[in-house]
Amino acid sequence: MSLAASMTARAYGLRWVVLPPLTGVMMMAMLLGAVLVAPREVVEGEVQRLFYIHVPSILAAYLSFFIVFVASILVLVRRDMRFDPVARSAAGVGVLFTALGLVTGAIWGKPIWGVYWTWDARLTSTLVLLLIYSGYLLARGIAGRADEQSARYAAVFAIIGFVDVPLIHFAVDWWRTLHPQPIVARGALPGEMMLVFLIGTVAITLLALWLIVLRTALESMSARTESLSAELDRFEVG
Amino acid sequence: MSAGIAVFEKDMRLIWRQRGGWFSAAAFALISVLVYSFALDLAVTEVRPLLPGVLWVTFLFAGIIASGQTFAAEAEEGTFDAMLLAPVSSTTLYLAKVVSNLTVLLAIEVAVLGLGTILFNISLISFELALIVVVGTLGYVALSTLLSTLDARVRARGVLIPVLALPLLVPLLIAAVRATGGALGEPVGTAPWLLLLSVFTLWATLGSALLFPMVAER
Repeated sequence: MSLAASMTARAYGLRWVVLPPLTGVMMMAMLLGAVLVAPREVVEGEVQRLFYIHVPSILAAYLSFFIVFVASILVLVRRDMRFDPVARSAAGVGVLFTALGLVTGAIWGKPIWGVYWTWDARLTSTLVLLLIYSGYLLARGIAGRADEQSARYAAVFAIIGFVDVPLIHFAVDWWRTLHPQPIVARGALPGEMMLVFLIGTVAITLLALWLIVLRTALESMSARTESLSAELDRFEVG
Repeated sequence: MSAGIAVFEKDMRLIWRQRGGWFSAAAFALISVLVYSFALDLAVTEVRPLLPGVLWVTFLFAGIIASGQTFAAEAEEGTFDAMLLAPVSSTTLYLAKVVSNLTVLLAIEVAVLGLGTILFNISLISFELALIVVVGTLGYVALSTLLSTLDARVRARGVLIPVLALPLLVPLLIAAVRATGGALGEPVGTAPWLLLLSVFTLWATLGSALLFPMVAER
């Protein structure tokens, strides 16, 4: 085993010790920072503080979907079924954070833009992303956990879905830019806001990773239970 | 190549034997156009801005539902497993399926375009439009045929396949609707949208042809 692989394995072994306290501390720091430390935004007011959860959530969602993509490739190419629970749980966490990003965005959008939703390119492609991975979860929920065939099918869908994202973004972007829309551009963040934003990004990323780890353990156990009970049935029949 | 043609002939024969399902898809497409005419009041309003959307939503729904069932009967009868043992690559099996589905869907789409020409007093038969329809149909058939490998044992698969396919097809729908609008004289510019449509179709066909062998393996 290479050095990097053994380091990764060792770090993964420490996940139960390191992730929960670190996530907790960073989440507290993010909340305190967003409410107390970060200055009140002059134009947008208090609602701007959602930004410290909104943007990190979307980043965490993209990270989760990237994990689904990589795990799906490993399931398909290496035929390593250990990565199937990883893909399944990362998809769930990704959908959660995409939804969180859309909801916080809508709450922010109402006072600032005057509408909860606008068919802006970024919003629309995020919504399509949510639909793709919700479909993935739906397909996974219907098929059994121990079914290797359906795991491979889901992996193919996850890969297609991930590679589709740039095309969707491009198409929607083009679709909207041909119809002029108000474009919302944020300037560079001042120091304290940047600091809270970075803490928020680390906190939400850790939270996402911890949730993925928890769900992966749960999924692996459920898959084992299902295959064991299937074996038991065969035993009883035979 | 001759093996590919043999598989294609088999697929066409299968389609003929299951013609009830395909005729239903055709009837569904034609009725959809009528339903849209009532819903959007296409009888009196200017149809040009709405018609591309009506046509493509009709094509997508009819096409995905019809071509989504394409492996179901074969999987049930065990033909599919037997085909995998035959000395043809699974990519050939996939491409033959795509071409046979494409053939039937194009026939259905020509019927819809003909009906539209009569109902809306607008010429829908042109080279430009034919090109858009062929490229766009190939794009969605490539994806829905790949997704239709979803195991026949899965409950509610008939609903699941459109739910999975439609979000992936958003770029195709946007590009096809805009390109069709351009071909009908809307000021949107056909060429860039046709380019985007071609890129999507190329991506969908190549990606599906590469991934199909991986789901087909048992």
